[in-house]
Amino acid sequence: MSDEELDPVIHAPARLRIVVTLSTLAPDEDLAFTRLQDLIGLTPGNLITHLRKLEEAGYVATVRSGRGVTARTGVSLTPSGRIALERYSSALRQLLDGAAGPPGG
Amino acid sequence: MNENVTPEGAVGATADDSEPELDLSQAAAIMREARERALRELRARYPVVFVTWGLLLMIGYGAMWLSVLGQHPYTGPAPWSLVVLTLLLAAGAVTTVIIVGRPLTGIGGTPAAQRRVHYLALAAGLVGVFALEGALAHAGASNSLLGVYGATAPMLMSGVVYAASPAVWQDWSTRLLGGWLVVVAASSAYAGPVGVWGIAGLLAGLGFLAVAVVRRRRDRA
Repeated sequence: MSDEELDPVIHAPARLRIVVTLSTLAPDEDLAFTRLQDLIGLTPGNLITHLRKLEEAGYVATVRSGRGVTARTGVSLTPSGRIALERYSSALRQLLDGAAGPPGG
Repeated sequence: MNENVTPEGAVGATADDSEPELDLSQAAAIMREARERALRELRARYPVVFVTWGLLLMIGYGAMWLSVLGQHPYTGPAPWSLVVLTLLLAAGAVTTVIIVGRPLTGIGGTPAAQRRVHYLALAAGLVGVFALEGALAHAGASNSLLGVYGATAPMLMSGVVYAASPAVWQDWSTRLLGGWLVVVAASSAYAGPVGVWGIAGLLAGLGFLAVAVVRRRRDRA
């Protein structure tokens, strides 16, 4: 992928929100699925779909713990996900700078 | 569906992935908004907590100091000042739970576990400190000794927890506050059962306010 190609896995509104939200956590922190759902504003089904795509790309990891009322699914951004988001941000900046054109042109 | 992504209570998942096209400026706006919202909702406002505790300590310890000021012989804090201090400490605990607990709800991992241990250590330490005070009184300790102990022991214990807790290991300002509390508690004890309340409350409160300023500036950076 060149510097100015946007990663298609991240370049979707919901998935972009997910990875950016998870990137604000510390590297060894995760976020409960239900809290992530509240922040992103998706139905559980849609969030699962997007998380599956991100997980298949190796960008997020999910860990289940507990049972019954204590059941919890933690979602975190993997190191690969952080790198992918940094590359995406960099590519987006380059594209936006290019779209703005040279000054005075 | 990937079985790793099966949160509790999510049944009948739909596969709606038909997202609209995203242009560059929209992508940049989404990134900015998502980051701002996450930082606003997932970050505890620690400066508010430190300001709260700084003011509560100065007011609460100040009330205790006023109630013992001019006592000859020393008989101990007046009941009204004990009520004021207790209510203020309870208000501080509730404020901390609200300001720190709510944003961090749902966040897991090692730092979250360390935070739980940190607050449990504080709570257990305070219970132990007050239980020991009761034992000292039961053993016939003088009012002066109990006064010095009551003003400094909780502060000393809290300082040690803050200075050594892995939960704040990355944050030099909070560790420094822990060390400051230890120094203030140990040194203000020499002021005796009257002066200790004024000196410890003022210096510890200023320490909390100073850390609030430092953390506020860092959060804004």
